[in-house]
Amino acid sequence: MARIELRNIQRKWGEFWGVRDVNLAIEDREFLVLLGPSGCGKTTTMRMIAGLEEPTEGEIVMDGEVVNGVDARDRDVAMVFQGYALYPNMTVYENIRFPLRMRRIPPSEHDARVRRAAEMVELSEFLDRKPAALSGGQRQRAALARAIVREPYVFLMDEPLSNLDAKLRQQMRVQIKYIQRKLQITTVYVTHDQIEAMTLADRIVVMKAGAIQQIGTPDQIYHDPANTFVAGFIGSPPMNLVAGRLEGGTFSAEGIRVDGLPDRLGGDVVIGIRPEDCTVADEGHLSAEVFGLEPTGDVTYLTLRAGDKLIEVKADRSYRVPLGSGATVAFDPARIYLFDAATGERLR
Amino acid sequence: MPKAGTEEASDLDPSARGVAKAAPQQPARTRFRRRNRRLKRWFPYLLVAPAVIYLMLITLYPGVFAITQSFYKVKFGPWRPIGFANYARLLGDYQFLGALWNTFLIGSISLALQCVIALTLAFHTYRDPWIRGWRIVFLVPMLFMPSAVAFLYKLAFLDARVFSDILIRLGLIEHNLAIQSSTWLSRAVLILADVWQWTPFLFIIFVAALQGQDEEVEEAARLDGASWFQIFWNISLPMMRPVIVVALTLRAIDITTMFANVFIITKGGPAFGTETISYFIYRTGFRSFDFGYASAASVVMLILTVIVAQTVVKRAFVSARS
Amino acid sequence: MGARRGARGESRLIRYLILGSWALFCLAPVLWFLSIGLRPRVEIISPQPIYVPHLSLEAWHMIWEDWPMARYLRNSVLAIFGSVLIDLVLAIPAAYSLSRYRYRGRDDIGFYILSTRMMAPAIVAVPIFFLFRSAGLLDTIWALMIVYAAINLSLVTWIIRSYMLDIPKELEDAARTDGASDMRILVEIIIPAIIPGIITASVIAMIFAINEFLFTLLIASTPNAYTLSVALANFTGGSDGLIYNAIALVAFLAFVPVFLVVVAIQRHLSRGLTMGAVKG
Repeated sequence: MARIELRNIQRKWGEFWGVRDVNLAIEDREFLVLLGPSGCGKTTTMRMIAGLEEPTEGEIVMDGEVVNGVDARDRDVAMVFQGYALYPNMTVYENIRFPLRMRRIPPSEHDARVRRAAEMVELSEFLDRKPAALSGGQRQRAALARAIVREPYVFLMDEPLSNLDAKLRQQMRVQIKYIQRKLQITTVYVTHDQIEAMTLADRIVVMKAGAIQQIGTPDQIYHDPANTFVAGFIGSPPMNLVAGRLEGGTFSAEGIRVDGLPDRLGGDVVIGIRPEDCTVADEGHLSAEVFGLEPTGDVTYLTLRAGDKLIEVKADRSYRVPLGSGATVAFDPARIYLFDAATGERLR
Repeated sequence: MPKAGTEEASDLDPSARGVAKAAPQQPARTRFRRRNRRLKRWFPYLLVAPAVIYLMLITLYPGVFAITQSFYKVKFGPWRPIGFANYARLLGDYQFLGALWNTFLIGSISLALQCVIALTLAFHTYRDPWIRGWRIVFLVPMLFMPSAVAFLYKLAFLDARVFSDILIRLGLIEHNLAIQSSTWLSRAVLILADVWQWTPFLFIIFVAALQGQDEEVEEAARLDGASWFQIFWNISLPMMRPVIVVALTLRAIDITTMFANVFIITKGGPAFGTETISYFIYRTGFRSFDFGYASAASVVMLILTVIVAQTVVKRAFVSARS
Repeated sequence: MGARRGARGESRLIRYLILGSWALFCLAPVLWFLSIGLRPRVEIISPQPIYVPHLSLEAWHMIWEDWPMARYLRNSVLAIFGSVLIDLVLAIPAAYSLSRYRYRGRDDIGFYILSTRMMAPAIVAVPIFFLFRSAGLLDTIWALMIVYAAINLSLVTWIIRSYMLDIPKELEDAARTDGASDMRILVEIIIPAIIPGIITASVIAMIFAINEFLFTLLIASTPNAYTLSVALANFTGGSDGLIYNAIALVAFLAFVPVFLVVVAIQRHLSRGLTMGAVKG
């Protein structure tokens, strides 16, 4: 059982809050992704789990035992770093073997385990190389092998793919997911890339400014965002958010009017609508000037300017219209999210 | 998974169990080893302690010793306490004040020359295709022992009079220069020897700083129509300022402690005209055996050093790092 | 365009004129001094300086036969290597502490170490002399070793510290999660990564130790503990004073190895000379 609990975790540097009041339970064998923009406290949270950083307040519990004050080296966590952190003076083989040596695992087992780990990440041919002689993707895999070689209590991965190019990143995503499933080891993964989060995670924790915004499965996060921050952070392009007034089931803002919304709510609100829930139509809720048109091949993104607001619309791949002309779009009222204008919280 | 059982781990490791017990609210049996927090806290101090203790023995102890001794008459026979008499004597001692002045004079002229020459050389070489060759050639004087350089200059200027001979052959003078009887010529020899040997020190550092600067900035400036000299003056030099400050500070320290050249070339003469502080301390202590008085001079120099270190040097190194 | 190219050519001429004359100024005294080392003593000091002397190995024979040159060499080598060894043993842990940990007083400790470099040898000369005299260490290589190590400790510490600061924190974190202790990290990760820094620091420390003059002069009062630097000052013979051809020859003997190692570490030299403050 590898269950990790964070109870009321806080981390302060002087007056600066790195992490404030994080409560989180990471289940056994779960793939948990901490997602947020840079400086949101996700890496600090992970470093506290690793024992590289001590929480200012709160408890970290592993296996039902509080591990505050236990050194990183005694926590049996394996971490993969953004810059890979391969030891430059050692070969790949020695790099992978290093944790085994440090943890006093019988030397007779070393060779077999190193080779097995290397095989799992398809690095068997490069065991004699120094890290400097590897490509970015190979270094990444060597770092991964070093983490999996000792079958730790938990994997911690700190933006492991952010230094790779897009194509390699996609391959590695699949590989990481596969290895995690195969080894069945609890994994905490930090990223600012929502695609990585969506594709890898069992559950996603969205963070902002040191605080948790929402915890949920990728589907929940996408389809049921808890506030405007989550709504605007997830999705590519992200959800359109428009501030306005809601009265008697009718939302109105500059150039936009939407009927058929719940009439039990009212006041200043923000509505959210995803680009794919908008359609270009002859008649609709919004008519505005075409500000941008981005054909990507399989779909065309249309940007409209309504007042000072830009609205993204996902249109058919063959849709073309000159910039500066007008277009009309319709929203699916059932797919409109309502948020409180003051707090940003979701109104249900 | 290769995990030791809960009981095993703590039973096998008595220290872990002991520490776990000591820590409040922890169960006695644990799968996690808890190490001594106090040791962890003091570990960095333990690492740095040997070096600090060593330096204290070699600097702090002598400092205290010198301060103590400076209040005594120590000249053959037992120490005799005389209060501030040594310091009072220093203030009226024209040889001591002269030594301060000489140190300042020789040091500042020499440092200014070295800085200007080194910057000029660095400016002309740093993008030169032959930079490696220039660097090795210019480095040569610095790699001789200072005492050897001192003898070289003593021979060339005083004993063999080669310098005078060359000037005579060039028709610039008619008779051998009487260097030994001229304060200014003697100082000039000390300055020349120092410039010859130590300009490379600054040159190496300046060239490295210039080479390290972003070539894109230079290219952008060149596209904007700036000449090489304009780039150097308006872009490179301001960027190099922290480097220049550090290099000059280090050089200044070594110049003000100049000893070997004085000892070998001029012996402080003529008429104490080239005596530096270091040589003054050496002469009063180890030639006149007036140790208390020498210690008082050391203390004055120490105070000056501490002031300089606390202000200039600290700032120089902080700004160079950022 | 043509005018501009002309200006470029002219400026290049001026540039090489400046650089060439400085090179001449650097090398001419050196070559002349070498000629001193290779000429008979009678041709050194004469009414008219002799520029083209007779080649003679007189000085070479003299330094080995009339003086215990082998002992001076041995003294120099032992004192210098011993002092560098002391420095490394003390400086590596100190630099590790100063570069990889955060603790109260760290910057002050670091600056204290740095500031000992500012201490003029003359200030501590008198007390050190008394200290060694009471310890019975005057006139021994041990005393030289101790003093050289003290002179260079600050610079060795700061150079190594600067190289350690270049190692990414991630590497240390990785080793820590892999289960390595702090000492293990130092020995297995940090030290192998800063070998160039250690070599640079050692070379610079060696040069300063070879150059050291004042302390050696005070501590080594008999040929027992003479090093090359002070031995030079004692190449005197009878009434006609200094024996310059021997001095010059010994100067070159000391120069050659220094020159070779410095050329080998050229790339790191500026960083070493500024105690790590300037990266080359």
